Amino acid sequence: MKPILLQGHERSITQIKYNREGDLLFSVAKDTVTNVWYSVNGERLGTYNGHTGAVWCVDCDWDTKNVLTGSADNSCRLWDCETDDNQPYLSVPCSDHKITSAVWGPLGEFVIAGHENGEINQFSAKSGEVLKKAKEHSRQINDIQPSVDLTIFISASKDNTAKLFDSTSLDHIKTFKTERPVNSAAISPIMDHVVMGGGQEAMEVTTTSTRIGKFEARFFHAAYEEEFGRVKGHFGPINCVAFHPDGKSYSSGGEDGYVRIHYFDPQYFDFELEA
Amino acid sequence: TETKKLPLYLPFLIFPILLFYFSELLGDILREKPQEADGIDSVVVVDNVPQVGPERLEKLKNVIHKIFSKFGKITTEFYPEVEGTTKGYIFLEYAAPTQALEAVKNADGYKLDKQHTFRVNLFTDFDKYMNISDEWETPEKQPFKDFGNMRHWIEDPDCRDQYSVIYEAGERTAIFSNDAKEPITVEERARWTETYVRWSPKGTYLATFHQRGIALWGGEKFKQIQRFSHQGVSLIDFSPCERYVVTFSPLMDTKEDPQAIIIWDILTGQKKRGFHCESSAHWPIFKWSHDGKFFARMTPDTLSIYETPSMGLLDKKSLKITGIKDFSWSPGDNIIAFWVPEDKDIPARVTLMQMPSRQEIRVRNLFNVVDCKLHWQRNGDYLCVKVDRTPKGTQGVVTNFEIFRMREKQVPVDVVEMKESIIAFAWEPNGSKFAVLHGESPRINASFYHVKNNGKIELIKMFDKQQANSIFWSPQGQFMVLAGLRSMNGALAFVDTSDCTMMNIAEHYMASDVEWDPTGRYVVTSVSWWSHKVDNAYWLWTFQGRLLQKNNKDRFCQLLWRPRPPTLLSTEQIKMIKKDLKKYSKIFEQKDRLSQSKASKELVDKRRAMMEDYRRYREAALQIYQEQKSIRLELRGGVDTDELDSNVDDWEEETIEFFINEEIIPLGDL
Repeated sequence: MKPILLQGHERSITQIKYNREGDLLFSVAKDTVTNVWYSVNGERLGTYNGHTGAVWCVDCDWDTKNVLTGSADNSCRLWDCETDDNQPYLSVPCSDHKITSAVWGPLGEFVIAGHENGEINQFSAKSGEVLKKAKEHSRQINDIQPSVDLTIFISASKDNTAKLFDSTSLDHIKTFKTERPVNSAAISPIMDHVVMGGGQEAMEVTTTSTRIGKFEARFFHAAYEEEFGRVKGHFGPINCVAFHPDGKSYSSGGEDGYVRIHYFDPQYFDFELEA
Repeated sequence: TETKKLPLYLPFLIFPILLFYFSELLGDILREKPQEADGIDSVVVVDNVPQVGPERLEKLKNVIHKIFSKFGKITTEFYPEVEGTTKGYIFLEYAAPTQALEAVKNADGYKLDKQHTFRVNLFTDFDKYMNISDEWETPEKQPFKDFGNMRHWIEDPDCRDQYSVIYEAGERTAIFSNDAKEPITVEERARWTETYVRWSPKGTYLATFHQRGIALWGGEKFKQIQRFSHQGVSLIDFSPCERYVVTFSPLMDTKEDPQAIIIWDILTGQKKRGFHCESSAHWPIFKWSHDGKFFARMTPDTLSIYETPSMGLLDKKSLKITGIKDFSWSPGDNIIAFWVPEDKDIPARVTLMQMPSRQEIRVRNLFNVVDCKLHWQRNGDYLCVKVDRTPKGTQGVVTNFEIFRMREKQVPVDVVEMKESIIAFAWEPNGSKFAVLHGESPRINASFYHVKNNGKIELIKMFDKQQANSIFWSPQGQFMVLAGLRSMNGALAFVDTSDCTMMNIAEHYMASDVEWDPTGRYVVTSVSWWSHKVDNAYWLWTFQGRLLQKNNKDRFCQLLWRPRPPTLLSTEQIKMIKKDLKKYSKIFEQKDRLSQSKASKELVDKRRAMMEDYRRYREAALQIYQEQKSIRLELRGGVDTDELDSNVDDWEEETIEFFINEEIIPLGDL
């Protein structure tokens, strides 16, 4: 099926997130704007304005009542989903190796954070102390996304790999290798697949062959660590990927400012690597 | 009487005499000069000096003085006498110990006349021999260091060649065995070398570089065979026979002890000789003859040729060649080619000289020469001299190729005139063709010439508008790659020169190097981190230009194929094998097919194992997940959010209308 193209941002997309039920897709970008769309047809539901700097991350709570955004204007804003009442919520300081992404643990008891130096740490949600550490990546962690049941998560790193970890033990389970920095990775809710999006920083792009076009989303088999498919279409590096909670579609947001929603063809669900 | 070389029972003979020496000499000398530790090191004892009376003493002293002051300044001389006649041995003291050494080296064995052949020794040597124990001690037997089969890699049943790869910006070095499917790791070590690696010419050794010197590795397990200490070594070169290695370090060089270039014996590890070196701009400074018998270097107006294993100058003197600009050995014979530029009214000329006889086989005069470059064909069958000239009355530079036919009587020379500037030139390694890249970007042309037996040089074919700046022939000849490296973005053209057809045109974006394997079956193109910081990888192609593998390696730096030793087969045997090639082809094809299916079986098994492991892990995780269900319900106030359809009662039904399509149906004229 042809992908649905969402045009609602004037600058590069920084993150996209589905709500738990999957009917809404949130997108944030460097243009300070937060958009929410219907994932079924790409119709825009609304916009949240108010940030004065690039918005780097977005999430909504489990019953889609509130939306949380984090921005370069040093503030986090909590929005009511249905209206666009802005309530500045809090600003969060940080020391040591800058934290580049974070997700909650399975029961909310700890936060799993990825750092600029490639470390992944578990911070207790009560005390803030480091419970576990994992140093598997050699360069900055760009994105961490958990599986839909929060038992495992995938980390995307500038070291050209994405790795699968157990959320509770931080055991490193799988590695997926590419030749480009990986900006984002997600785990399929229903298949043993992961999707990865990446590309280089804009300033390095001119030194590689644009004809070869490395702006593709790549699908790997989670158990075999082998790549089995690619989806082209973005005109720039892919900054964020996300699976729909039902696993029947996925979305990607790129440096080109576009969000693309892809619904899988039936062959995708039947495809199997010989084993 | 003639004394033979100092035998081991000498102490018994010489002890009383030495006592004499000591008492006679020491008394005088020590009384005169303050006691210095190295005072004795400058003294030599000359034996077998004629015994003369006072009337001939003056003459004798003059003769001795004349002979021995060649090696240095004689500060003291002592002619012991008994009853008015000299005893037949004398003592000479030089200004420095090095001079005494020179005297021993050069004057020992000097035949003064029929009855008197000088024996010259360092005074301190007597001391040394005095201290030899009375008992004969068998020299300690060095334990035999068995490095295993040094040619182990040649015995690979599938004839895989090895290559070295340096990656992670030099942190890791690995040796791979080349298989068409994927490289097989043989050895991989961190920090094996500090800069880069080199293979020896026949592939026996791998040389690694370190701050303190180089190390040689080999055998099946790449054990360390030998180590050579040369602080700050930066460049090395092997002799073609693999007997010697030459190391260069810009750090080590003193007037007394030249250490910039050292030549080592690989098997014994001994330092054979050290040389000065002003600059390493054109490494290798020493060029070896093909059989390793000679090595030579050029210094202003001089060509110095040394022979092995003595490491001494051939005929004890260098060749004076005024204005010599460049020289090189024939790769097939002991012939040196060199050229000198114009000198007033003497034209520039290229000379071919036979070694060791120094006979000039051929001289060719050249006029209005700007520059010359020597290109030998790999077997020494032909020499091409690329001559850049400015013809009289013109401003521009034109290029000629002077082709010397080495295998024909009188070495005839044919000239090929080129109209455009030359970018690259290369001989077919074991054939009689050569390729030239000429012109200027973007109009670069590739021309192929054949040196025929009938005295003609024929232009076979010219390809125009090529994206190429380098020529790479297969080591077996016939096939070649024209490459546009670096600034030309890695354009590749695979050519079969038997009929000059382009087999394939491809690209390896930003490729910096092209390397043929020693058998001519495979080509590797690579993007080195040393020249380009991204996309570092090496790609494997067949000789026809079919891409087999893309191997990405983090910060890949260098790939070098391991050379093969020359074949042990005779030309007869090779002919026989070529005749039966069809039979062998069948067997090999069958083997290939078998290995293909085996690979997929391996892969399938691997996947199955991975899946089982993964499943087991997921099941365990799922179990824990189930056990935590009650906590989750509690966290969300009793609402079950585990599955999308966990709360069917909570669902709202909503009907949404989508615009899908618009169709205009004309109802016709109503």
